[in-house]
Amino acid sequence: MLGYGALLAAAVLLPFVADNYWSSIATRAAVYWVLVSGLNLIVGFAGQLAIGYVSILTVGAYAFCILPAKLNADVPLAVLGSILFGAVSGVIVGLPALRLRTFYFAMATLGFATIVTQVALAWTDVTGGGIGLPAPELPWPFDTSLGFYVLCMAVAAFCTWMTANLGSSRFGRAMVAIRDAEVAAEAMGVDKKRLFISIFIFAGALAGLSGALFSSLQSYITPDAFTFDLSLLFFIGVLIGGRGSIMGPLLGTIILTVLPEIAAPLVAWSTFLYAVLLLAIVLLLPGGIAALLDRTNRKALTSGRSITPDLSRLSALLAGAGNAADIRLSGVRLSFGGVHAIDGLDLLIQRGEVHGLIGPNGSGKTTTLNAICGFGHPQEGSVTMGGAPLVMGKTTLRARAGIARTFQTPRIVGEATVLANVMLGGDVSGRATFVEAALNLGRNRADERRLRARAEEALTAVGLGGLGDVRADRLQHSELRFLEIARALMLSPSFLLVDEPAAGLSPEEIHRLGALISAIARAGVGVLLVEHHADLIFDICQRVTVLNLGRELAAGTPADIRAHQGVISAYLGG
Amino acid sequence: MLQAILVSGVAMGAIFALIGVTYNVMFAASRVMSFTAGQLGMLGGVLGSLFILRVGVPVLPGMLLALGGCALIGLATEIIAVRPVLKALDQHLYVLSTLAFALMLRQFTAIEWSTEPQPFPTLIGLGGGFIDEKFWLPVAACAVTIIGLEFLYRRTLVGRAFVAISEDNFAARALGLPERNLRMLSFALAGAIGGLAGFAGGELMLAFFENGSVLNFYGFVPVALGGLGSNRGAIIGGLLLGVFQQAANFLVGGLFVSVATFVVFILFLLLRPQGLFGTGTARRV
Amino acid sequence: MRLNRREFVVAAGAAIAAGSGAGSADADNSPILIGQIPALTGSSSDPGIGFDRGVQFATTEINDAGGVNGRKVEIITRDTQGDPSKAVNAVQELINRQKVHAIWGPANSGESLAVTPIMAKAKMPNLHPCVIDALIDPVKYPNAYRVATANVQWDGAAVRYVTEVLKLKSVAIVADTTGYGTTAAAASEASFKNVGIDVVHKALIDSAQPDITADMLRIKSSGAQVLVLWSVSTGLMSRIINGRGELNWDVPIAGHPSLGSGQIAALLKKPEYWEKVYQVSFKNACYDASGKLPARSQAFLDKISGKIRLDDTNFWWVAAGYDAVHLIADAVRSTGSTDSDKIIGYLNSVAHYPGIYGTYHFSATEHNGFPNDEVVMSKANSFRNGTFALAPGYT
Repeated sequence: MLGYGALLAAAVLLPFVADNYWSSIATRAAVYWVLVSGLNLIVGFAGQLAIGYVSILTVGAYAFCILPAKLNADVPLAVLGSILFGAVSGVIVGLPALRLRTFYFAMATLGFATIVTQVALAWTDVTGGGIGLPAPELPWPFDTSLGFYVLCMAVAAFCTWMTANLGSSRFGRAMVAIRDAEVAAEAMGVDKKRLFISIFIFAGALAGLSGALFSSLQSYITPDAFTFDLSLLFFIGVLIGGRGSIMGPLLGTIILTVLPEIAAPLVAWSTFLYAVLLLAIVLLLPGGIAALLDRTNRKALTSGRSITPDLSRLSALLAGAGNAADIRLSGVRLSFGGVHAIDGLDLLIQRGEVHGLIGPNGSGKTTTLNAICGFGHPQEGSVTMGGAPLVMGKTTLRARAGIARTFQTPRIVGEATVLANVMLGGDVSGRATFVEAALNLGRNRADERRLRARAEEALTAVGLGGLGDVRADRLQHSELRFLEIARALMLSPSFLLVDEPAAGLSPEEIHRLGALISAIARAGVGVLLVEHHADLIFDICQRVTVLNLGRELAAGTPADIRAHQGVISAYLGG
Repeated sequence: MLQAILVSGVAMGAIFALIGVTYNVMFAASRVMSFTAGQLGMLGGVLGSLFILRVGVPVLPGMLLALGGCALIGLATEIIAVRPVLKALDQHLYVLSTLAFALMLRQFTAIEWSTEPQPFPTLIGLGGGFIDEKFWLPVAACAVTIIGLEFLYRRTLVGRAFVAISEDNFAARALGLPERNLRMLSFALAGAIGGLAGFAGGELMLAFFENGSVLNFYGFVPVALGGLGSNRGAIIGGLLLGVFQQAANFLVGGLFVSVATFVVFILFLLLRPQGLFGTGTARRV
Repeated sequence: MRLNRREFVVAAGAAIAAGSGAGSADADNSPILIGQIPALTGSSSDPGIGFDRGVQFATTEINDAGGVNGRKVEIITRDTQGDPSKAVNAVQELINRQKVHAIWGPANSGESLAVTPIMAKAKMPNLHPCVIDALIDPVKYPNAYRVATANVQWDGAAVRYVTEVLKLKSVAIVADTTGYGTTAAAASEASFKNVGIDVVHKALIDSAQPDITADMLRIKSSGAQVLVLWSVSTGLMSRIINGRGELNWDVPIAGHPSLGSGQIAALLKKPEYWEKVYQVSFKNACYDASGKLPARSQAFLDKISGKIRLDDTNFWWVAAGYDAVHLIADAVRSTGSTDSDKIIGYLNSVAHYPGIYGTYHFSATEHNGFPNDEVVMSKANSFRNGTFALAPGYT
């Protein structure tokens, strides 16, 4: 907050203490930041490497100049045009991200940048071809340098505010989750496609607007003004600023805009220096400027922490759960190529019960759990919840249906705080729309208050209260397991699927874990516990199913299983 | 005219295919896609022109020096841009580090060598018209590389070690294979292959710093078309691309060639992201 | 930044004190600041490097002779690398921070189009060598003067040579796919058609196209009698010249000044391919059939011999830069002032300025200074000391 205030003060004071030249440089930095603030969400938050983003700037700039020149539009309409065209091209350029891998998507965006420039060059009647177009005259007072400066600063400030709002909203958390823990995000109900389309439209709109401002700054646009170097400036600005931050990329953009001006003799080497800077950041300081600024996460954590769940909080947390009575698998068969991972399985998970699932490695335990969650298509059999079939392949629907899960290896967002990680679990209950979050309107504020309060309750319930503001990757492995459970509780799940949570825990922690899971079940949740830890299973499960080679080897109460000969020889030993 | 299109298309296609193979060899060694592949091609031409024309070395030693230089650059890529980020779980870091290194190579060449295309020597002086060496040298280089790689991977111990670390990294290390040294060797080999592409294609593309960006993209298309990791796919993809590009240039003219190529490429990628011969994505959960 | 203000106040105070006896507005000895915004690095930097040599030479010459009315000329250079964004930044700095009295440049079209309105708003006297026709408009940009030829004059020279000297009837126009190439091709086509010449083929070729055999075959089959080339890419032009040679196609090539550059010579397969190639040039930069340059040019060459390197640049670039500085210096000397109105007023009344590059004429309504009849074609393979031989056939 302090940082933003300082920058705003500097921006207000600049025209009075410096000459027009520095004001024009500052205006340029503001214009670039309008674009970079949106690109930051795509690259820094969602982790999609859109290297060729100058293409959107080009579209916005040309829209702003063509509409008045060819269609006699007035300036406000031209601005609107640049925003609209920017948004549309933002979606076109961005959508391949849903299908393509990182490197491929990066190449595709470079391809788009070339296409747009070539079209601008070729479509002479509309774009003026190589000669280009003049930018329309802005109405007074924006046609003066001070007026234009104020306009650009105001727009830049507005964009900073909006993107900061988004960054700290559930959309920001969802973006970062898709970047770092995509599978977990899906399981929490985050719809990647919808989210991406929203970000691309938003970032495209900002880039289009930036194009309009850029045209006015240049007063004339030609295809050769939209260079690959500019694309690099935007992209590198986000990365040296640091991912998941707003202030970092803002400072990064300012630095990269001002750098060639300060080091005039180095202008020939400016792109080389950008590259060196990027390499240095990647190798030495991957967190970028934001990591340098982040002082809170360098304070030492108390050592010797213990995880002490407060089970009394659970009933309030789980109050909103749904009505489905059970999850039922009947005759399920799931093969991968020639491997029969699940070979005819019946399983019943009832509300209020802990159902243990054990078996040797490769027996199909995790595959079963995944199948319930929709990862993988059974070739035969049915999976129903409360009698209604669960749609296979649609993992994002499970969260809304009330099924929550944890993962064999904790899938959390290391760079985010513990609290933010838990709040991700409540994403499906968020009511504010993307626009409401950008403008931080009432519904968004209400969402954030509610989610934050709930998340703190969940953290206290699992025993991690007080660690909310710590970066998640500083926690111990055992704490991460409990973190995943807290995240799952945010859903008020009817069913909780837990995948080998005891791995890596100390005996005392396993004991508390067991108490926690039992309490969750007593509060009405149907729990499926996949585990290797036999003691834990026999302690807290009401029913146990033993798998071997994808089939049920035995099923019944823990006592039955302990005595079962086949189970002893195949698995327990004795 | 059809003959002209085919001849130049196949020649350019062979150059693109070799860059695709460069990408593949780097990927096989490290699971990393490197932005430096195209720049290695560019350097093959620039170093060749430097040693043979400017310094005055005879053709064969000049070629060895150029390829050696590119192998060193490949090695440098591994040490500077790949090894430090391999431990990171993050996918994006290697894209950035190799992008940064590639940019440094490009800008350095632009400033120190020239921003204008410089002449590339006539290597042998054989043939003219449609059998001018500038057309069949890239094809010959491509054939030699493919045969050489096949021999390397199937018949030599080192080659089989390469295959091992790319197919199952953990098992290979458990067997005691020196993973790091093999990776360095792989990148050096990839550097030499990229350099060979640029050297053999020098008479067509001249010694020009901008070749790097062109080859980066047009060398990537065969990989995307053919499937990552498949050299056979890269060859087929490269030849198809070369002929398509020359045909498009003839039919729609210079302004639209790159637009046509990119549009077809992006559409293909969206319809079949794993390429013609590639495998689907691995298990996610 | 604040320091600048303080300096200014002190200097103003001193000036007032010192000038209390004199009545002239310019009694101070502050330097005459000329800003220059060439592209010194990056692609298309050859012209900028050439201009700079002429600019620096002229400045030294003036200062060694005592300056202008006792004031030294100082050049402030900003390398724009051909990037319009950098050009805008540079112009802002020169106008607002360095407070120059006039600006020379830029040469590239994208840069010029972007900075011309900015300089017009600041009423900054601007001499520039850019060829884009739209940059000169005495009403919109009363401060801008072209000290070079416009694109339309290059077309004119090519058209005159084809019709009056070569006396041929059909042309094929080939250009690259850059901004310059696409506009030049369109303008050239219109110019030829205007005088009844048949444009049988127009081709736009990407300068990165490695092999143009197919395109050359197609152009040859169109039956053109002259090949007209408008491109800044030495790679493309050398491929076309090589292609003409390999196909044994005996047609003259006419076009862009760069056709005579040493870079093309290096890229040609056989030196004889360079025969019958004619590029746009300027009377003062051409020597006649007996090898003699116009007197003024020879005198200039003698003056700069040993001091400016000419083997890797063009005579007219150096001369243009030289003339620009002298024009501004003359304006200040005549009017006794560096005020922009005075400089512009002077330039508007330049009826006949015998520069080295050309003889300029400016008026309030004509800001294109270079006369049409001084734009001629020259022989590409006749480079000598930065000059070329006049193309054969001129009377």
